[in-house]
This record gives sequence, C-alpha cells and structure tokens, in this order.
Amino acid sequence: MSSTSQKHKEFVAEPMGEKLVNALAGIGEVLGKRLEEKGFDKAYVVLGQFLVLKKDEELFRDWLKDTCGANVKQQGDCYGCLREWCDSFLLFQFVLCQRKTYQHGPFI
Amino acid sequence: MPVFVEDPAQFSKPRLKSELIAHNVTLPAVESKKQVYVELYLKHIVQKSAADFSSDEEDDDVVEVQDSQDFEEEKDPEMLDPSVLTDEELKTTLLKYGVEAGPIVATTRSIYERKLQRLLKPAQPRQNGGTGDADQYSDSEGDEESVSQQGSPETVSLMEENLHVDIRFESRIPLSSSGPEIKRGNNRSNNQGPRPRPYWQEVATVDKYTMTNRSLFVTPKTSLFKRQIKEPVTDVLMEMFPETEPTPTGIAATRRRPIKGAAGRPVQFKYPDLPASPMTLQRWAVEHRLVPLWVQILVFFIVACLLYLIYAAMEDSLANPFVTLLDNLSMETETEGLSLQAEP
Repeated sequence: MSSTSQKHKEFVAEPMGEKLVNALAGIGEVLGKRLEEKGFDKAYVVLGQFLVLKKDEELFRDWLKDTCGANVKQQGDCYGCLREWCDSFLLFQFVLCQRKTYQHGPFI
Repeated sequence: MPVFVEDPAQFSKPRLKSELIAHNVTLPAVESKKQVYVELYLKHIVQKSAADFSSDEEDDDVVEVQDSQDFEEEKDPEMLDPSVLTDEELKTTLLKYGVEAGPIVATTRSIYERKLQRLLKPAQPRQNGGTGDADQYSDSEGDEESVSQQGSPETVSLMEENLHVDIRFESRIPLSSSGPEIKRGNNRSNNQGPRPRPYWQEVATVDKYTMTNRSLFVTPKTSLFKRQIKEPVTDVLMEMFPETEPTPTGIAATRRRPIKGAAGRPVQFKYPDLPASPMTLQRWAVEHRLVPLWVQILVFFIVACLLYLIYAAMEDSLANPFVTLLDNLSMETETEGLSLQAEP
C-alpha cells in the first residue's frame, strides 16, 4: 500500500512560492509539459484552479483529466497534494493576518 | 380567421429554443441573442402554422396555455443539452440538483456542464443493470428506489448524512466512465470528517445485490489510501507543534513569529524588553526611580521642620536686625537724656 510519496511530502512541507507544476505530486514531465502548454506554468496557477473549483475532488479530477490527460492515480496524487497544502498553509495565512498584537510566544 | 395573438419576442429564450427543437429547427450558436431565436421562430414556425391551417385553433390554445404558464428561465429545465445554458442557468440548474457550484468561468464551465449531464442521465430510462448500483448510494428516497431497482436498502440509511450530495454524483460515474473511477466518490466521501466504519461492510454487502461487481472491489484500497494520506498530516503537525490541542477537524493553525518590521508590526512591539530610542530610555529611568517620589517629599518636609525647631530653640535668637537697631537707638537716647539731666 503506497503512502504519500516523497514528492508529496516535499511539496506539502513549505509554501509553494514559485515552484513549477512538476513539483506537484502526480505531475511528471509529460503532464507538466501539457499543463504548461495550456498556460498552467506554475504550481500556484493549478492551485488557483483548484480553489476556483472549491477544492472539490471530483471536479478537480475531471479538470485535470481534461487538461493534461492524467490517469486516476495521478489525479488522486495531485488532488491530495494540493488539499494537504491548503490545509497547512491556506488557513494558516488567514489566521496570521487576523492577529495584530502578540501577547504570548509563537506557540499558543 | 384565427390569428396568432402572442408575440414570440415575449417568449423566454429557453421557451424559444424548445419550440424550435419541437419543430425540428436547428438551433443557432449557444451565445446568440434572443433576437436570433425569435427570427428563427417566426420564420419556421409561422410558416408551419400557415401551412397547417386547419389545426390553428388547437395550436392557439396550446400555445396560449403554455405562454401563461411560462415563467423565467430557471423554471424551465434544459433536459437536453447543458451547453446551451447560460452561466447563470447552469448554476441554478446545478443548484436544483443540490450541487453548490463555484464560479462558472471559462475553465470551469466544461466541467460543470459534464457534471450536469451526468446528473441528467439517470432521469432517462436505464439501459443496463450496470446503472443499478447508482441508486444504492442515493439518499432519502433511496429505500424505495433501490428496492425497485436492486433491493439493497441497508446501504442507504447509514450513508445519508455524510454522503448526501457527493454520492449521488459518484453513482452516475459508472455510466460515463470506467469502473476504477468509482473510487473517487468513495474517496471524497471518506474525506468528509470521520469516516463511518460500517461503510466498508456496507460496500461489501452491496456486492451481493449489484449486478456489476467491478466497481466496488476497488473501494477498500482507496479508503486505506486516503486514510494514510490523512494520517501523516496530523503526524507532521504534531511533531512540529506538540503542544497544540487536537481540534475536531484535525486542522490546527499555529502562529509563526511575524516578520520584524512588517506591515503593522513596528519593531518596538516585537521586542518590548529592549526599548530602542533614548526617549523611551529616559522615560523608563524617570518612571523607575530607586526611592519613590512621595518618600522623597516626606523626608524633605521632616528635615525642614527639624531645622526650624533648632532655630527656634536658640536662646539668643538672631531675631530681627531692625529690632536690635531700634533698641540701640532707644538706649542711646536714654543715655543722652540722662546725661543732659545730669549736667545742668
């Protein structure tokens, strides 16, 4: 039973910044090239699409299949990767913006 | 001579479309304006009715009745082709099926259209038994439906709460795509908070009742797969922040040290124990004296009183110098007076 891949772990460990689409789990060279041709040259653009689809799994898988012909496993990997990244960093930044003062240390 | 009273320009666009379709007229492009539809309608249908003179009266009644019942677009479902719907119509139609669609933009439109197609398909009569497992996942009226179709009521009730909308779509998948893709639905259903344990067993029992077993074999694997994806999330976070309390959703946001000097976070707030400017240093010095102020004033007054008492206690007090001068003068005059009296 495969657990998350190395690529997945690396991607989810930090903010994606300017990483290319190839950095996404499930997206290799071939798929990455196809995505780039369609205009999705950076990982954050794919993230944008993911968010526009409201992080819905089925829709995102469909879209991925349409756009670059990913198979089921690749779709799943990519979806899982993005979802986890969002869980870790999307809400996180939102919380950060809300806080202004700083009564206690960095760990609540 | 009966005449058409109604004005096609007053019809709504889908109404015109359906009329055209009913009369076997090819539809114009999706984005074309209503006027195009009206023209086509007038051209073809008026011609037709002109040829069909004898049944004019019937047509009139039918058309008028329909006209009176005609409301805005949303009430008129496009059973045929999602691609002729506008974005708004697509969104509302999806909403009718319980799908809360996100923004329908260029990139998402085709996806939502396909979804709608999948939703519309089971509304039409079924072809194979392969569609049977579709109804096992449906909720509320699932009991009766599944009995009529395949007869597996148990699976429905337990899944109702969590898998309401999603499963219904996933159930449509076998119609349009291959077996392994049914995983998707189970994946997503598994992602909805705590996965109900009996779900696995349910899935197994469904096997007996379905005619096609292919799709359901895959589910246990993917459930595990998803669970393992979920577990590392908590592990990693728990390693990094062992002090956070577990939250119901499993998502715990922790604060990072904000960047010094970034927006709204001036440096002195960041390091309160090290005042940066001399002003603050002085203020600090003034505020934090060794001896309190009131004590200093009290001591001052005590010392002053002591001095006064010492002065008052002196015998030959310094008194007023003018007094002593006057005394001297008065003494001199007295002595002069005495001396004058003494001489004569």
